[in-house]
Amino acid sequence: MAQRTSCFALALVALGAAGASGQERQITGRVTSATNDEAIAGVNVSVTGAAFAAVTNADGRYTISAPSGAVTLVFRRIAFKRREVSVPAGQNAVDAALEADVFNLEAVVVTGQATGVERRNAAIATTNVTGEEASRVPAPSLDRALAGRVPGAIINQNSGAPGGGTQIQIRGNNTVIGNPDPLFVVDGVLYSDASLPTGLFTVTGSSANRGNGELQDDPVNRLADLNSSDIESVEVLRGAAAASIYGSKAANGVIIVKTNRGKAGKARATVTQRLGFFELQRGPATRTFDTTSAFDLYATPKDTAEARQDSALIRSYLVNGRLPTYDHLKEIAGNKPLAYETSIDVSGGSENTRYFLSGSTKRDGGIVDNTFNDRQNLRANVDQSLSDKLQLSLSTAFTRNQTDKGFTNNDNDGASATYAIAYIPGFIPIEPTSAGYVQPAITYKSSNPLQTIALGKNDEVVTRFTGGGTLTFQAVQTDRHNLRFVGSGGVDLLSQTTEVVAPPALFFQATSSTPGTSALGNANSRLWNWNVNAIHAYAPASGSFKATTSAGVQVEDRELERWRVVAQGLLPGQSNIDQASALGQQFELKTKDRTLAFYGQEEFLTLRERLLLSAGLRAERSSANGDINKYFLYPKASASYRFPQLLGEGTEVKLRGAYGETGNQALFGQKFTTLANTVIGGQIGTIVSGIAGAPNIKPERIKEFEVGVDGQLWNGRATVEVTAYTRHTYDLLLQSTPAPSTGFTTVILNGGVLWNEGLEIAAGVTPIQRKDLNWVFRTTFTSLKNRVQELPVPEVCKPNATICGFRPANAGFGLAYGEFFVQKDKPITQIIGTDTVPGTCTPTPDDCAYVNRYFGQANPRFRMGFTNDVTFRSLSFSMLWDWQAGGVAQNQTLSLYDCNGLAPDQATVAGQARYNACNTYGTAGAFIQSTTFLKLREASIGLELPERIANWFGARTARVSVTGRNLLLFTNYFGYDPEVSNYGQQAIVRNIDLGPYPPERSVFFSITAGF
Amino acid sequence: MTTILHLRRLATVGAVLGALLAGAACSDFFNVTNANQPLLDSLLANPTRDRLSAAAIGVFGSARTGIQNYIWRLGSMGREGINLSGNNQPDYQEPFYGPLQGGGFGGALWADRYQNIRNINIYLTALATNTDLSAGEKAASRGMANTMKALAFLYVVLTRDSLGAPVDADRAVNATTAPFVTKDSVYGYVIGLLDGARADLRAADADTVAFPFPTPPGFAGFETPGAFKRFNRALAAKAAILRATAGTCGTPCYTRAVADLDSSFLDRTATTAAGFAAGAYFDFSNGAGDISNGLSEPLNGDTYFALDSNVANADTQPVPGKVRDQRVLDKIDPAVVVQRLGGIPIAGTLKFKVYFTAGKADPGHQIPIIRNEELVLLDAEAQWFAGSKAVAVNDLNQVRTNAGKLAPTTVTIASPDTAFVTQLLYNRRYSLLWEQGTRWIDARRFGRLSAIPPQVSGGSVPVAMPVPDAECNARGFASNCTPLNP
Repeated sequence: MAQRTSCFALALVALGAAGASGQERQITGRVTSATNDEAIAGVNVSVTGAAFAAVTNADGRYTISAPSGAVTLVFRRIAFKRREVSVPAGQNAVDAALEADVFNLEAVVVTGQATGVERRNAAIATTNVTGEEASRVPAPSLDRALAGRVPGAIINQNSGAPGGGTQIQIRGNNTVIGNPDPLFVVDGVLYSDASLPTGLFTVTGSSANRGNGELQDDPVNRLADLNSSDIESVEVLRGAAAASIYGSKAANGVIIVKTNRGKAGKARATVTQRLGFFELQRGPATRTFDTTSAFDLYATPKDTAEARQDSALIRSYLVNGRLPTYDHLKEIAGNKPLAYETSIDVSGGSENTRYFLSGSTKRDGGIVDNTFNDRQNLRANVDQSLSDKLQLSLSTAFTRNQTDKGFTNNDNDGASATYAIAYIPGFIPIEPTSAGYVQPAITYKSSNPLQTIALGKNDEVVTRFTGGGTLTFQAVQTDRHNLRFVGSGGVDLLSQTTEVVAPPALFFQATSSTPGTSALGNANSRLWNWNVNAIHAYAPASGSFKATTSAGVQVEDRELERWRVVAQGLLPGQSNIDQASALGQQFELKTKDRTLAFYGQEEFLTLRERLLLSAGLRAERSSANGDINKYFLYPKASASYRFPQLLGEGTEVKLRGAYGETGNQALFGQKFTTLANTVIGGQIGTIVSGIAGAPNIKPERIKEFEVGVDGQLWNGRATVEVTAYTRHTYDLLLQSTPAPSTGFTTVILNGGVLWNEGLEIAAGVTPIQRKDLNWVFRTTFTSLKNRVQELPVPEVCKPNATICGFRPANAGFGLAYGEFFVQKDKPITQIIGTDTVPGTCTPTPDDCAYVNRYFGQANPRFRMGFTNDVTFRSLSFSMLWDWQAGGVAQNQTLSLYDCNGLAPDQATVAGQARYNACNTYGTAGAFIQSTTFLKLREASIGLELPERIANWFGARTARVSVTGRNLLLFTNYFGYDPEVSNYGQQAIVRNIDLGPYPPERSVFFSITAGF
Repeated sequence: MTTILHLRRLATVGAVLGALLAGAACSDFFNVTNANQPLLDSLLANPTRDRLSAAAIGVFGSARTGIQNYIWRLGSMGREGINLSGNNQPDYQEPFYGPLQGGGFGGALWADRYQNIRNINIYLTALATNTDLSAGEKAASRGMANTMKALAFLYVVLTRDSLGAPVDADRAVNATTAPFVTKDSVYGYVIGLLDGARADLRAADADTVAFPFPTPPGFAGFETPGAFKRFNRALAAKAAILRATAGTCGTPCYTRAVADLDSSFLDRTATTAAGFAAGAYFDFSNGAGDISNGLSEPLNGDTYFALDSNVANADTQPVPGKVRDQRVLDKIDPAVVVQRLGGIPIAGTLKFKVYFTAGKADPGHQIPIIRNEELVLLDAEAQWFAGSKAVAVNDLNQVRTNAGKLAPTTVTIASPDTAFVTQLLYNRRYSLLWEQGTRWIDARRFGRLSAIPPQVSGGSVPVAMPVPDAECNARGFASNCTPLNP
């Protein structure tokens, strides 16, 4: 039955339009830049009210067919303002000069797999970031470069480790256990942003459970493999109406990346050399001890034989009669490693064949010894005209990306260096002596963190190939009809090899009965997708409207295979897994998802291109659903209306509204209840898994309304875009915790409703726009509210219960430290914890009554970004500030320092209170801290060198710049960085801070030469 | 002409699309199953001999899940040892200072056991629909499964207070939760399971069938249904004795226990370490897919430490040099590295070597389920309260003089019960040290919790494990199942 439906939809796709013809003439001309009179290639030229279109060549020249009467030509290109030119009946030559478009007002907004509308008409809010903005200040990965530039997106780094590890959360928290990440599409190819762990948990023991342990490996999300310098533009589809075309993978928005394409003409090359360094940004200070305070903490109970031993030990550290204070953080993370990046790109070609080639190699050193990121990228993009009607575009990229992040984050076994220093008092030295490393007498799990850093290895190597092609067939092109077929497909293959080694000589390994651990792992990801679209545009002779009909089919296939083997009891000096006494913790996991979708949409532009109406529908079936034959429908509809000159000459106001639905697919395996295996006495057997699957599972469904006002003033020198949205997630993927007496720990189910509502503002102004002085100011504002509106009864909301909610997986480390708790009528990221009932703790703490209460939510009240770009003659200067107000985190790094009596302010009343909160009362309040911060994310100064200097070394142009990232951070947060996530990419349980890789700042000097 | 050309092109495109879709939609393209593990449905729908054999191995495998936690957590509560790893303050904070949190310290003990029970119930469900095992083999399988189920419930009820525990656990995951029944009812249920299992094992034994699955090495000596019955009786005796001290059953339970012990593998005449060690064990190893014995830590390990009181409270051997009870010498050694934490004034100076092999830590060391040394002491208790006090005193001395190398006890048949219990508990404490949390369990049974010094000022010895929060929440109760708890 389903097959029949497919075939019917297919017929729809194939339905085209009839040909037509009329009186035509040819218009020719040249398009140049208003700033420097250079020719602009790739400008789209079209005739208002008709379906004719052309593109300028390398010399800026074009030829376009047009009706014989008076027409209006429209010239459009990314990075330039559109220009409309009226052409009288007799004129057949039209030149145009285009002005720079600093606010991307002219971008084409994606509305379908192969369709788009001009931004001035768009009925949905999207954000366009240019490649130049994204790569001006070097960042470990593209996502970090977007921070502060995209309204509606909260972009947070998971730690300071080299290589990346960042999460983009668009329009709030829309899921609980579903995929929390946006969908990435690079040149039409689905691009894996998977976070593939290294297996660090096999030595940190962050969890005995593999799944929960791997989350704490601080994995790199694989967007990091993309070279920011290759990017032409990044378009962020925030809303459900915009993302609906991507169906059940688009709940968290879609990020569409286009890489640079070749421009016809003489080959142009750019060479960039960067040199810089990283350094520790911030971290916990060290408590200073005198003998009294040291005895108080460690020589207890007083006047016992043990205490006398302990005080003798402490006295042995006296230097000139005083206890010294070593800054262990500086000792482990005080490096200022050199970093470099060399890149070259070449672009050129003929009218029919255009190419863009690039290659780069970079190394980011880590502030912790032996940590680094090395990346090499190669890219070849080719555009080939096969005939005047057939165009082929190919994109290929190869990446090798190697990272060693060292041993940090949560730990149970003594491996994490950042964890260990929270246990070692400042008076105990950890630096190696002439005899080598010494095990500190007071430490965590026997660890000497400097020894761990020197000998440990947490390495991953990713090799990745991404290739895709688009074939466009211009079937019909007349003054009224334009019919195109666009077929597009691609594959994203990545292979990761991981090796985590903790040699037997490490003190924390020596305590094991089989010292020495080596974990070897591998992951292979394969994503492929293809789609075929038919796009028909129709404009009647009257020119009163333009209707674009498109329909298509899309197939997506995702596979991920992973395995790992852990060897223990290594031979000294050996790390191969066969050089060990025992193998264990091995696993092999294959996941596969397949999705087929049909879609169609209609866009109707009328009233002199002022009113845009649009509606679309996607029908999708997937192997991830319980019912694999069922098609899930995702409709969308939107409308916008422009008011040109509403506030006077040079102004325009647009009102827009949209409704859309998207989904979030169930994760692989959630529909199955499996049998786990166990080995006992050499025999293998089966055990029922603790997770009861949901045989009827279906995707989450997001329904969203969005309205907005866009305004342009001052001839486009000032612009503002305000969007408000309200979105609900229905059929949430949830895991309820049944009574443990059922024998299951988790039940997967659909149910409940989650509500997000928010306001997004993007504004920009060019206060000064002169030939020699230009100042552009931009700001983004993001605020959101959310609430759990419904939770399923009785699975989650138990009968008679006073509280309707559940503890999500990895919610924290006990209510005495604060934990996330998903609860009806509360914000989804609320953190609750244990507190004493006021007045009950008398006369002694034993009399305390306890209660669990709300301590805040992880989501900030708002986030704002401010960008200033100033150009004075050949000098340019820019700054990006990122401000987050509100929000809380579980600062368990603080609780470590406090519980161990090592907080720098331990001797103060506040410090003592936190020590008691941990050790006497077990209350959480002290460890839940505000994450308000202000960061100088980016700053850069650049100088365009005079041509004669460039010519000295044979270059056409040359530019030098000094850039800095994360230069300043203002916050009251204790310790490292309020941007943190012990569990990596997470829908809600972010903001857990537990000995992360310390945050770093970076400074680069760059020189770029154009040839 | 152009139009016709266009139509032809369209037809071509359509045909290509159609072919692609035929390859996609019209096949098993979407039927992606989980090839990583067997599915529960495959066991239930088609319970072949092989699958049931694997599931039976799983019953033994899951019986040991979390046992190490059980031992060190109950061991901390009874002040046998302490977890000073320092990575999780509640590990020492809760058992030494209290209160125990239903969400943390004790939660997993309960969940692991009920997962074992669920596993056994599914095995029994699948077994019932199997068609290629003989009636005798099915009886043997049932006998094994129900014995192991009784063992799991015994672990649950041992930590419980008067509220008891749910026993009617074989329900669908979304069904109404099983009601709590009293502690005495749980023991009654356990004994019923064991007696039913004995009947099955007897029937299988009469048919002289072998188990249709391999038994793990820890069950050496219990590999046949007839031999397994002796393990079953050992558990029945233990359950009856625990029931005697937990409720109103008293003497009848002790009398019954004496009979059960006679059908078990009790050897009152054992004198050697091997004789006392005979019994059933959980197996561990660091082999692939297996669980290793984490309680077996080298002397420079930094997690589990024995408390000094184990040495201080031990009797002295009647030899020159004031040597302590041999069991202390065999089970405890000084730590190579002293562990100090800022959060608790107990330094880790002594290590357990209960699970050492040839003087070294051994991740493959077995952990006893029940062994002869315990049976002799169970016999002592049952005989004393069933009236055969002379046998009881003999039993005590058998252990005391052989395992402890101590002088015989001063307790005689004329001694009051309290004196006997004191001596019984002393021997149970040292004979079963770091094996099952016996000191805390016994102190509760005989109302002697206050006799265990808390070891830290301001500390207290917990009276019961709380019901896990998840169990309470699922029933609509707040933390600690208020108002149901304890």
